[in-house]
Amino acid sequence: MITFDKATVTYPGGVHALKDLTLEIPDGEMLVIVGLSGAGKSTLIRAINGLVPLTGGDVVVNGVSVRDASSKQLRELRSHIGMIFQTFNLVKRTSVINNVLMGRLHETSTWRSLLGWYKPDDVEIAMRALERVDIVEKAYVRAANLSGGQQQRVGIARALAQEPDFLLADEPVASLDPPTSHVVMRDLQRINRELGITTIVNLHFLDLAKVYGERIIGLRDGELVYDGDGAQADEHVFRDIYGRSLTADDVMGQAEPEPAKISA
Amino acid sequence: MTTAAQVSGRPAKPPRSRALIAGIVAFVVITAISVSERFGIGLDIVELIGDLWRVQPILEQLVSPNWEFLPKVVDPMLETLQIAIIAAFIGCGIALPISFLASRTTVPNRPTLTITRGILSVVRAIPDFLYALIFVAAVGIGPLPGILALIFFNIGVVAKLLSETIDGVDPGPIEAADAGGSTRTQMVRWSVLPQVLPNYVAFSLYAFELNVRASTVLGFVGAGGIGFLLKVQYGFSLWSNVSVIIISLFVVVFFIEIVSIRLRRRLV
Amino acid sequence: MAMGTTTGRPEKPSNLKRNLWILGAAALFLWAAISVNVDITDLAALPSGLWAILTAMFPPEWSYLENAVPAMIESLQMAWVGTIIGAVLSLPLGFLGARNVSSPLVSNIMRQILNAIRAFPELILAIAIFIPIAGFGPVAGALAIGIHSAGTLGKLTAEAIEGIDEGPMEAARATGARGLQVQRWGVVPQVLPELVGFWLYRFEINIRAGAVLGVVGAGGIGFLLQQTITFTQWPKAGTTILVVIVATIIVDTISGTVRRRIIEGSEARTVAEVDLVAKAQIDGAGSA
Repeated sequence: MITFDKATVTYPGGVHALKDLTLEIPDGEMLVIVGLSGAGKSTLIRAINGLVPLTGGDVVVNGVSVRDASSKQLRELRSHIGMIFQTFNLVKRTSVINNVLMGRLHETSTWRSLLGWYKPDDVEIAMRALERVDIVEKAYVRAANLSGGQQQRVGIARALAQEPDFLLADEPVASLDPPTSHVVMRDLQRINRELGITTIVNLHFLDLAKVYGERIIGLRDGELVYDGDGAQADEHVFRDIYGRSLTADDVMGQAEPEPAKISA
Repeated sequence: MTTAAQVSGRPAKPPRSRALIAGIVAFVVITAISVSERFGIGLDIVELIGDLWRVQPILEQLVSPNWEFLPKVVDPMLETLQIAIIAAFIGCGIALPISFLASRTTVPNRPTLTITRGILSVVRAIPDFLYALIFVAAVGIGPLPGILALIFFNIGVVAKLLSETIDGVDPGPIEAADAGGSTRTQMVRWSVLPQVLPNYVAFSLYAFELNVRASTVLGFVGAGGIGFLLKVQYGFSLWSNVSVIIISLFVVVFFIEIVSIRLRRRLV
Repeated sequence: MAMGTTTGRPEKPSNLKRNLWILGAAALFLWAAISVNVDITDLAALPSGLWAILTAMFPPEWSYLENAVPAMIESLQMAWVGTIIGAVLSLPLGFLGARNVSSPLVSNIMRQILNAIRAFPELILAIAIFIPIAGFGPVAGALAIGIHSAGTLGKLTAEAIEGIDEGPMEAARATGARGLQVQRWGVVPQVLPELVGFWLYRFEINIRAGAVLGVVGAGGIGFLLQQTITFTQWPKAGTTILVVIVATIIVDTISGTVRRRIIEGSEARTVAEVDLVAKAQIDGAGSA
């Protein structure tokens, strides 16, 4: 479980990115966060794994305080939290499997990791992660040669390889076209349901949020302004969160092109 | 210009940047001083043109190389290559970890960074020729001081180039490694190194080329290689022999460049 | 991709090529290390030898600054003038050597000429050509530096020109401008920042390259360095070396700052620009 306890983040320039945020995220939930750019979505997500330090309050993940964690404890904590990025953050020059294996680094000794001699068990975990997102045939392909959607799936596989309890996704589909966005969101949804991993996603497009968000929270200016069911969120709700009327840019606009895949 | 601008609402021409003007002025002043007789080197182009003929007898010998001298060139040239290879491997090898210590990306700790960069600046400020002089004084003449000198020279060149490359890597994979709980070493190994490895090899090849070119200088002060042979022939004014040395050096460098360019192309 | 197993996972590709290269490199190193005429036991003398030198150099003989500083200034001026000569010569050479501005044939010939010029180290140019012409002294050094730099800078200039956006050139031609005008307005504005960067970097290198010229009498601090070290006048040598280091670092810092300003000042560039500049430095800015 993740608990935000009056969490505050103020950047050195004076920007109040998060103001006294209090929130509880139970295990296994699929949570979507919406809000305008600069509302604090990215900061909230990064406060969970400590990539952004808190200036006030605390975030407690599975009983461990992020604020008080030593660097060693923080690394241990992060190994249980997988993260997916808008720009995928893959090492373009190296192969897909090498990228995914980075998820096993925390469990690998320094010497082995320097030489790249991962244990066979770790390689197996990585391969299975690739199979779960249906891209294992590209295991030895250079990451740069993949499409955007494929790269994001590799990103998901890398996070899965950590065998995490939590999955953080910071605008995972913002760089992808509509059909691919649905594929990726469905993958995340499937992983959440089949593996029970708590999934927290920042989304830009409100129609996507409504479809995939079991629970939606809305941020405005660093404050929590909405917390409710995904199914009940409608235009009024979003307009409230945004503080302005909605525009065409706020929705992706394309319905799911085909029914969701069932296989693992 | 002013009346028209005021009337038609056109913007006035912006003044040239002050930095640019200052730069140009400084440039002119420095150049003027540097070429002057009193305070500088005393460059007199007219006089020079008048003296061009002096090089003629030498040129005549230079363009008729004494090919019988060629066998004598082989061994020193091999020594040049040996020195260049050994120094390149060792120097570039040492430069790799040093460049990680000298980059903002991989060492956020400011004091360490400043110290490493400071040491690197000093290492780079010493020309290869000076290193050669010092090492000859320390261990005697022969190829050894040459190797040592070039090792330091290579470290300076490659560490600087590589650390600047590391400064510019894509920070995304670094964030991903941090988010997954990797240690700093693991992050450097997997998020940074793959991005800069082709550059590293290219810089090392470059360092090797520089080493070969540096052999004339090194040999002159007794640090091995073809330079010593050059010095002797020059000392006796045997320009036809000097010519053979120059041509051999040119051929060797030419081949190395071709191989180097091919190799670098494959890397990208 | 080969489906090696029933699970559908691909086969791991072979590392053979990469391993062969590594083996080849190792073999090369081993050959060099074994065949070089070095008695490895000489290495044992290194730490004590260096230590003896270092302790003998401190404290430096500060009065020797009277000799060292003017000599260093001479080296700097030599490098300055040499770089200017090289830069000035490299402009026409570079334009002629660029396929897109001159003709394919001419540019090819010019590139070979530039390669030939680059192949002559400053030392050889000095002793064979410029000392005979100009006599001993920094003028010979400046000329040697200048001609060698012209070769390197010419190559870099040609490559920079070949890398430009053809659009402005085309536009200039469309207005009916003559050749030189096209180059002045279509080409120069694009490449100038890059070129100035090359010139500054070359200046930094030329200071180092010029150091050795003093040994053969072509001016600069080389003579003092050789004298003091060879005759083991360590306190004086220490002073001289300090002067060299300080002067070089100062110039490096100023040059680096100016170069960075220029890069930032020109059109928006990506972070990978560092790579390009470095690559340009690789492809031509050889020293010695």
